[in-house]
Amino acid sequence: MTRDNSDDLPEAAASWAGAHASQMVTHAPYAVALGMKYLASSSEGRGSILLPWRADLAGTDGSSIVAPGAVTALIDHTCGLAIMAGFGIAANPATLDLRIDHMRPAAPHTDIICAAHCYRATKTIAFLRAEAWDVSPDDPIATAQAAFILNRREG
Amino acid sequence: MPNIHDIISGSPFGRFMGIETRIDEQGVLAILPARDNLIGNTSIPALHGGAIAAFLEITCLLQLAHETGTTAPARTIDFSVEYLRPGRPEATYARAKIRLMGRRVATVHAEAWQRDEAKPVCLVQCHFRLPGSRG
Repeated sequence: MTRDNSDDLPEAAASWAGAHASQMVTHAPYAVALGMKYLASSSEGRGSILLPWRADLAGTDGSSIVAPGAVTALIDHTCGLAIMAGFGIAANPATLDLRIDHMRPAAPHTDIICAAHCYRATKTIAFLRAEAWDVSPDDPIATAQAAFILNRREG
Repeated sequence: MPNIHDIISGSPFGRFMGIETRIDEQGVLAILPARDNLIGNTSIPALHGGAIAAFLEITCLLQLAHETGTTAPARTIDFSVEYLRPGRPEATYARAKIRLMGRRVATVHAEAWQRDEAKPVCLVQCHFRLPGSRG
């Protein structure tokens, strides 16, 4: 991650990533309800989350494939994790925009993994890329590009 | 004409989200009742952005089913979300508008609001591959 304002960043961010990043998943009710599992994160602005297959996440098409909406939520949340891992809890990120390209449907009855990378950030905006896959990261089901606003004072 | 309520009740994820629907002269009005497990940030508190986006994607699919008269599922090609305001933990409403109905692809815009329809919380633009089209 390239930081424009590295002097402003608290040292605490790195240790927060190690000690508390998993709370980003366990303390968000919607992430818990979807069954998301924290996988990993790093102070380089990276994070990954697993969405285990569950029958009640299947979409409107009558198949046993995770609904695209659940994949959207997974990607959004993983981007949030990557920012928090890079900047610490004070970053308080909120999604500005998120664009997802669905390459192909996931395999039926299959877990989805998402990895996000905050590759650039200013004082107020973080830019991220993310991929989601079922079997191999080399063959993604979806790729995404997102911008988040950082360090908001109000909610 | 497909029964929009049946599409939601036949969709495990639609039931998980707790989405309700009404049909009026404008098309499908989708309703996402407030529920604790839709919250993303408990300290504000605010609905999870992913929950609002998922709600809007389903709204687009319902409007497509309503206008095409088929329950065969359209497939999402791409999906672009803009968040304008935090979603409060209260009922959220959405409508979708089909901007282009091609032979293979439909362009659909949708927006979600809470108390005031003139103050949307979230906008989406998406492309869907229509059922029956190849490739």
